Amino acid sequence: MRLTVPAAISHGRVFRPLGLGPRSRLDLLRNLVTALVRHERIEAPWARADEMRGYAEKLIEYAKLGDTNERAMRMADFWLTEKDLIHKLFKVLAPRYQPHAGNYTRMLHIPNRDSLDRAKMAVIELKGNPLPPLIRQRRDSEKTLLNQLLKGYREDMQQAAAPQAPGGTPV
Amino acid sequence: MAARWAGRGLWGRRQGRRFIYTPAVSRLTSEEVIQMRNELFNKEKERQLSLYPRIEKIEVKYTGKSHPGSVFVMNKALSTPYNCAMHLSEWHCKRSVLALVDGEAWDMYRPLTKSCEIQFLTFKDEDPEEVNKAYWRSCAMIMACVLKRAFKDEYSVNLIRAPEVPVICGAFCYDIILDDRLNDWKPTNDNFRSLTRDAGKLIHKDLPFETLHVEAKVAREMFQHNRYKLEMIERKASQNMEGIVVLHRFGDFVDVSEGPHIPRTSFCFQYEITAAHNLQTNQSELIRRFQGVSLPVHLKAYYIVWQKLLERSKRLVTEEKYLEAAAEHHEAKDGTEEEKAASV
Repeated sequence: MRLTVPAAISHGRVFRPLGLGPRSRLDLLRNLVTALVRHERIEAPWARADEMRGYAEKLIEYAKLGDTNERAMRMADFWLTEKDLIHKLFKVLAPRYQPHAGNYTRMLHIPNRDSLDRAKMAVIELKGNPLPPLIRQRRDSEKTLLNQLLKGYREDMQQAAAPQAPGGTPV
Repeated sequence: MAARWAGRGLWGRRQGRRFIYTPAVSRLTSEEVIQMRNELFNKEKERQLSLYPRIEKIEVKYTGKSHPGSVFVMNKALSTPYNCAMHLSEWHCKRSVLALVDGEAWDMYRPLTKSCEIQFLTFKDEDPEEVNKAYWRSCAMIMACVLKRAFKDEYSVNLIRAPEVPVICGAFCYDIILDDRLNDWKPTNDNFRSLTRDAGKLIHKDLPFETLHVEAKVAREMFQHNRYKLEMIERKASQNMEGIVVLHRFGDFVDVSEGPHIPRTSFCFQYEITAAHNLQTNQSELIRRFQGVSLPVHLKAYYIVWQKLLERSKRLVTEEKYLEAAAEHHEAKDGTEEEKAASV
């Protein structure tokens, strides 16, 4: 605990001391990364999820190098405590993110935890997961005024681009 | 101007001693016509208000999604759907454009007459067809008001009607007959810009649209100088069972219309009058169709998109093409239904 005032002020400090020490912090983050790769969407305290996000994206970048790569295999072996997930990482997640360049995860805020600590929580998920989407896009209906005007405009442009014979023959 | 009016009055009175008094000739100045119409409108409104000297209460049930099961106790012939929305929230007041009273589209400022069920329609509903039609009608009426006042008094302006064009055509229109001396006049871009600025002034004034359901003879008296309006009144009265015609007014412009309008002029945000075309008819007078495009406050468009919509609205809009398309669409739908029924 930071009991002195100068130690309590943390302006500009990016290092987050999680857990009991440096080794404990790495173990914590390793557990979270394993859970993320297994379930593809987890809820965690915001600070831990934020810290873990960088490690998860770096792991996926290593996985993209391929499982024949020695360094990639050693990284996956260290970071994933459940060894069946190494196969999932190289065979499922790496091909999924091959066309993307970065930003493989999405992190959103959640209401504070219900227990006594009222901790700030976040949900972190791998993009392209098979679960239902977190944010539902509310699109305007096709029949609103603006959409109808734009539809008419689009049809006019199509007719001008590809003039069809009147009473077109059925395809 | 004052001298001209006084001169005409004296001339009428001097003629009255020798010939039969003809009221139509003496009221040809547009301001007098406007004043006469407004006086008749106000008189009719007061008369309809005086039919209910004591306040009676009616129960209005709300059938919308936001506050299910609410019941409002409102005053008969005094409370409007806007008052019901005021009981719900400010969001409802600002967003609702029309009210669905017992399944029928009503203006927000039209008084409720009996216990009923009410629902509010906005621009962003699942099916805002009625709202779109009402918005197009209101925009056409604003354009008519602007056109009526745009010309000098010596040139006569005869409004005909606003054709009921679907929104997908890209422009609302109003048919109008100008003075014979203006037959060769082609409106330029500057003219359209000044008309648009007049419309902008009206929108900025935030005038409410007042509705009045009157009997056909009162409407005929109001519009006695305009034979096209008289024809429209006859048509509307014959369609209605009780011979009642709906009139709308905002500011001091009164017009016959085919259905409900938006509550206030400030609901329009981007408004522009874009083109004028000459309609080809077998009549001797030249009918012009003025067109424009507009978007409401709730559905603003980015300026590049707005420019493209403006370009499109300059093309002539005709009703027949879309009526045919609608008829074909209905036939196609019936055809597919028959096929499905046959296959099953």
